[in-house]
Amino acid sequence: MSQHTSQSRRLFLKQLGIVGGGLIVGVPLTACATTPATDAASNATLQPNAFIHLSPHGDVNFYLPRSEMGQGTYTGLTTLIGEELDIDPASIRVHHATADSAFNNPEYDQQITGGSTSMKGSYLPLRQAAAEARALLLLAAAQQLGVPREQLRTDNGHVLHGEQKTPYAALVAVAAELETPKDVALKEPSAFKYIGQQRPRLDGRAKSTGSAEFGLDIDFAGLQRAVLVRCPVAGGKVKGVDDSAARSMTGVTHVVTIHNGVAIVAEHYYQAKLAAAKLVIDWQLPEKLSQFSSAEGQAQFAQALEAEQSHEAFTQGDGSKALSNANRVLRADYWAPYLAHATMEPMNCTVKIADGAMDVWVGSQSPGLAQGLAAFYSGISKDNIRIHSTFLGGGFGRRTASDYVGEAVAIAKASGVPVQLIWSREDDTRHDLYRPAAMARFAIGLTDDGHIDSWQVRRTGPNIMAYTVDEALDAMAPGFLPNGMVDWMSKAGHSLYDGWSLDHSSVEGLYEDYDASHKAVEHVTVDPGLPCGFWRSVGHSFSGFFKESMMDEVAAATAQDPVAFRLQHLSGNPRLANALKVAVEKAGWPNAASGERRLGVAAHNSFASSVAQVAEVSLENGAIRVHKVTCVVDCGRVVNPDIVKAQMESGIIFGLSAALFGEITLKEGAVQQSNFHDYPLLRMPQTPTIDVHIIDSNEPPTGVGEPGTPPIAAAVANALFALTGQRLRSLPLKLAS
Amino acid sequence: MISFHLNGQRVDADVPPDMPLLWVVRDHFKLKGSKFGCGMGLCGACSMLVDGQSTRTCILPVAAVANRAVTTIEGLADAEQLTTLQQAWIAHSVPQCGYCQSGQLISATALLNSNPAPSDSDIDTAMQGNLCRCGTYPRIKQAIKDAAGQTTKASTTAAQSAAVQTFDPRHAEAKA
Repeated sequence: MSQHTSQSRRLFLKQLGIVGGGLIVGVPLTACATTPATDAASNATLQPNAFIHLSPHGDVNFYLPRSEMGQGTYTGLTTLIGEELDIDPASIRVHHATADSAFNNPEYDQQITGGSTSMKGSYLPLRQAAAEARALLLLAAAQQLGVPREQLRTDNGHVLHGEQKTPYAALVAVAAELETPKDVALKEPSAFKYIGQQRPRLDGRAKSTGSAEFGLDIDFAGLQRAVLVRCPVAGGKVKGVDDSAARSMTGVTHVVTIHNGVAIVAEHYYQAKLAAAKLVIDWQLPEKLSQFSSAEGQAQFAQALEAEQSHEAFTQGDGSKALSNANRVLRADYWAPYLAHATMEPMNCTVKIADGAMDVWVGSQSPGLAQGLAAFYSGISKDNIRIHSTFLGGGFGRRTASDYVGEAVAIAKASGVPVQLIWSREDDTRHDLYRPAAMARFAIGLTDDGHIDSWQVRRTGPNIMAYTVDEALDAMAPGFLPNGMVDWMSKAGHSLYDGWSLDHSSVEGLYEDYDASHKAVEHVTVDPGLPCGFWRSVGHSFSGFFKESMMDEVAAATAQDPVAFRLQHLSGNPRLANALKVAVEKAGWPNAASGERRLGVAAHNSFASSVAQVAEVSLENGAIRVHKVTCVVDCGRVVNPDIVKAQMESGIIFGLSAALFGEITLKEGAVQQSNFHDYPLLRMPQTPTIDVHIIDSNEPPTGVGEPGTPPIAAAVANALFALTGQRLRSLPLKLAS
Repeated sequence: MISFHLNGQRVDADVPPDMPLLWVVRDHFKLKGSKFGCGMGLCGACSMLVDGQSTRTCILPVAAVANRAVTTIEGLADAEQLTTLQQAWIAHSVPQCGYCQSGQLISATALLNSNPAPSDSDIDTAMQGNLCRCGTYPRIKQAIKDAAGQTTKASTTAAQSAAVQTFDPRHAEAKA
């Protein structure tokens, strides 16, 4: 048996939950030549790599390396496997992969689903894996049928020799004894059967019948539910607790104090929730954050716009010096608030510790980091921690963090019982890792004919990476380091990012898209201390609004058409220029709306994709009403056009919630919002008609999960300017009455 | 002991009377399709049909459904025969993350039962209590319209065609 095959075997066993901890191995090891087996032929299985497993009974299994959180990767990546293995993707059994480096995202070298990279990063490797499996089956067929390989072809799960059809399953036993061929050629696009076709989602039935399993649906005998009371100000510690009233509540079995709060463990969630309200906790508040209130705190961001010291994030030409040569300089300041993710499934994690091993059931965008953090909080080695991945009830970046995994592990360890930690909606809203608030100041230098000569922008606000580094170090630090040292390293990591290393996501999207001879991008960190994280489209979520509003502002100030003005500055960016041209054509710019309805336009590159949007907007009883959004996306070759379309719809609606309502505010460090009444999301009656067009392309696929979000707030704001003459420079958009 | 009809079957639950129906169904009867979203009746993920009405069950004490008929997402289809709405959901690839979709389907079912040919604004009104963070609203609306079209067409030709039974017939029996 080759080393590669034995690795696949180890992984396959791990998928079945058979690792470490002395668990009973109940699965025949018949594919391994050294294993004595009485009926090897009928039990042989084929695992040419980590992703694909064929049984002799006809099952074609695919271990999905990315997490399905709505974006469609379950369907998209299975389509790649089906294409090169030559079998209808709908007949493949898809399993969520466990935590293992074999499933690392090639874009990050970590097992992370994020950055709109799933298709981009998997397009070639997964096709290669499937193509090799198909080549192996062809070799096996040639041997089994005693015919030359060249006379064989495949079709939907069968090897064909003339009229003779052999199902893949019948070739498994012979194939399992052969070496997997390498460097197998991939299909030419002209031969694609499934890639590029509009096909229904493969998880559609499970999600329309209530049978799709999410983290919160995990249940087994003896499982208890936990509710954790955290400090209202993030980072606070428990000084003392009076739990006498809570302990006497019905159903409560344990009250335990962990690293960031006090947990109630009870038979049922609602009992734990009721008891949690009876806890009296004395908190040690974090000094800095507890002094921050949004009402006055925004001034800190504004002051930093004036700071003498800054990070130079990017410089081109003469940088900021060029401004002094400009015929005219236009300046404006923009603001975007903190935002919560508000996934429909609140954070949750289920943990069972037994016999020195641990099972963790969790919907996570980073199962590998979840495993690492579980090890950190339990003292159990990663080898003895099994991560069982589920569907995610929304991710949007929130589930790249594993804070809730660490909590659940700590509670299970302290209580000694299997627990499912369930966050309430209030917990979810108040203890998120938020989209950082941001302020930006633009100074755009123009030539005398109204062309942009210099582009200067300074962004102030927190950096996401400071918080990500904290958790990643806890998860990845070698097991021999004591936790105290890891904590110290985490804090060093935090100051590293805030002190002298630039987090690119703080400035991404502010300056790249348009031509200018001179560019200067600066950053000044202002961080009140509220934890921040990746929120759908990350830095582009605010920079798309800032930059595209500013472009509109410059066009208006120089009496130029906003589309023509953009196109004049897109010579270095033909893909975005084309998306914009198609969008305005499809939307009927500029005449499709007039009078009480107006159009606004925005275009933005993110995650290697180009998106242009036109929003049609009016006022209804003084409230902003978005009637229609026309959206054009260029994301390279499309694997499933309906999923690309769905992601544009999704990104736009997600962005509209932020544009129209989204705002997390703090009072003395505590988040003031709590649930959907004070952190509202777009509802059906507020949802515009959305018309999506996809640019036909033969380029490699790029992201679609996030790029639909960045332009929409600016498209709406620009339409509002056309309608009212008011330039709205803060989110959420609020017209002066 | 509280007795009610769950997906057409009479059931008894030995649970505290103040336990929310959502958790009785999920933790006691192990039907996990109905979801917990907000705990305040604001998002609709926990929706079930109670005597045919789409009802928020995260705030509904189980005692309130004594002797009433409760239908969950699991009770919509007749074995493998999905309802017209569920078929439309799959055909339009409505679900994304899927977490809210049980509640969406329950509200859509209640709508078509009371209004077989809803206008856009009828759909907006009936569905506004169900949040979807993935933004599947345009597809939900289209799927409801498609299912309604089929329902209307079918009901004019064959009043009791199996395909049009988006309303759980067992539930109707239970109520009678």
